Amino acid sequence: MIDQFAFLISEGFKSFYRNKLASFLCVITIFINFSILGSLFVVGYNTSSLVDFFRSKYTFEIFLVNEVKQDDYLNFIDQLSKNKIIANTELIDKEKSAAIFKEEFGEDVVEMLGYNPLPLSIKVFISEESFEFDKVDQLIELINTYNFVDEIEYRGRYIDDIEDRINLAIFLFLVFVIAIIFLSYQIISNTINLSMTNRKDFIDILKYNGASGMFIKVPFYIESILCSVFGSIFSFLFVKYFFISFNSYFGVNVKLDDYLWLWIIGFSIFIGLYSSNQSMRRNLNE
Amino acid sequence: MVEFKNISFSYSKESGIYDIDLKIKDSEFCFLVGPTGSGKSSLLKMIYFDIIPLKGEIDVLGFNSKKTKKNKIHKLRKKIGVIFQDYKLLKQRTVYENIALPLHINGAGRKMIRDNVEEALELTDLLDCKYKYPDQLSGGEQQRVCIARAIVKNPNLILADEPTGNLDPAAAHKILKILEQINKEGTSIIMATHNYKLISDRDYRIIELKDGSLVSS
Repeated sequence: MIDQFAFLISEGFKSFYRNKLASFLCVITIFINFSILGSLFVVGYNTSSLVDFFRSKYTFEIFLVNEVKQDDYLNFIDQLSKNKIIANTELIDKEKSAAIFKEEFGEDVVEMLGYNPLPLSIKVFISEESFEFDKVDQLIELINTYNFVDEIEYRGRYIDDIEDRINLAIFLFLVFVIAIIFLSYQIISNTINLSMTNRKDFIDILKYNGASGMFIKVPFYIESILCSVFGSIFSFLFVKYFFISFNSYFGVNVKLDDYLWLWIIGFSIFIGLYSSNQSMRRNLNE
Repeated sequence: MVEFKNISFSYSKESGIYDIDLKIKDSEFCFLVGPTGSGKSSLLKMIYFDIIPLKGEIDVLGFNSKKTKKNKIHKLRKKIGVIFQDYKLLKQRTVYENIALPLHINGAGRKMIRDNVEEALELTDLLDCKYKYPDQLSGGEQQRVCIARAIVKNPNLILADEPTGNLDPAAAHKILKILEQINKEGTSIIMATHNYKLISDRDYRIIELKDGSLVSS
């Protein structure tokens, strides 16, 4: 039994080596497909970070009426800080507003008008962890009921739109991933088909000498595993070094999953085995 | 050992095998004769269940064509050695590797493989060729490799489909001698041939086919 197993393993390796051209094409095919798939995986993995990034930018600003008393707004800030969905607040007094105005428009509003018409405002930063649009909407509604609140500048729905677009992109990305998987399946299956057609004599001789279906299949399984392993190792290295270069060239931080290598190699072996099995079943009329 | 029970099979309206009843006993040596297209090869293919009859049934070494499932046919084939007219040798493997193949299929260990292959090489007078590749051998030698591959697993039955068809008379004679020797050791042999001259001076059973029907047995 051990001798038979060793024979089958060595047959798989020999057949991989003997069919150099077909094996090479299969490795290249897997390399291309899994490089695309691996890159998509990295993009998908980083999409959630992108959503977090937008959410971290989510703030709103409360403009107060000119007549507001200091005690009122300080109490108000204190109340806001206790709310769980608020990470922190920043008071922008009239002087700070004038400085921001000067920075943005290059004009000193006090010099221009002789007084400072800019209102007092409070910038509110929402906590990323407990972010929910409904909760934010409820909070804004509540804030609006205070009589010293003049206006609330609120851009939350723009971020909502962006998130909707990101979700659409994720859906399209999934469709693309399925298409790539299907393409990989077809190409590997056709490669094994070609390999089996090339070795029809060998298969016939095995059959006429009493080889079982599994005995005939094992060397092809091994051949397909070898193609998958080589192709996916190259594609993992490609994806890894592509994103490392991308990060350093554009100065961004696209993260790579620690188990990316396992995903790529494992998934490639699975696709390789499944497609070669289907191809063999067709060829052996099972 | 082999029993055909009123079997029929047709490839098309004009060609096939029709209503054959035949019994071949243990340790028998018989020739299957008839012109090209008479159904000799089809009959042999039916014995190793490469073709399943449309009508009737065949019993071979305890396997029945109707009852044996497709995934169990390999068990029957392990008991049968097949010799082809076109040798069907693997060109990228040495003579030794070609002959050892059925033993690997049967799960034999290294020692058994070595001993059986040596024995088969000796019987077929191929000891000097064991590390050669099929393309380096003559037609007669290639056919002897094919015989060695068929006998190496000590089968109960050997089917030879025109084994001398591509050989000169001397080489054909040598092949027949080897087959006779194997038969003397108890293995049944069914040999298809249209070389009447080769078998005419031998006292073995002759089964004659014509247009897919049995003429005499």
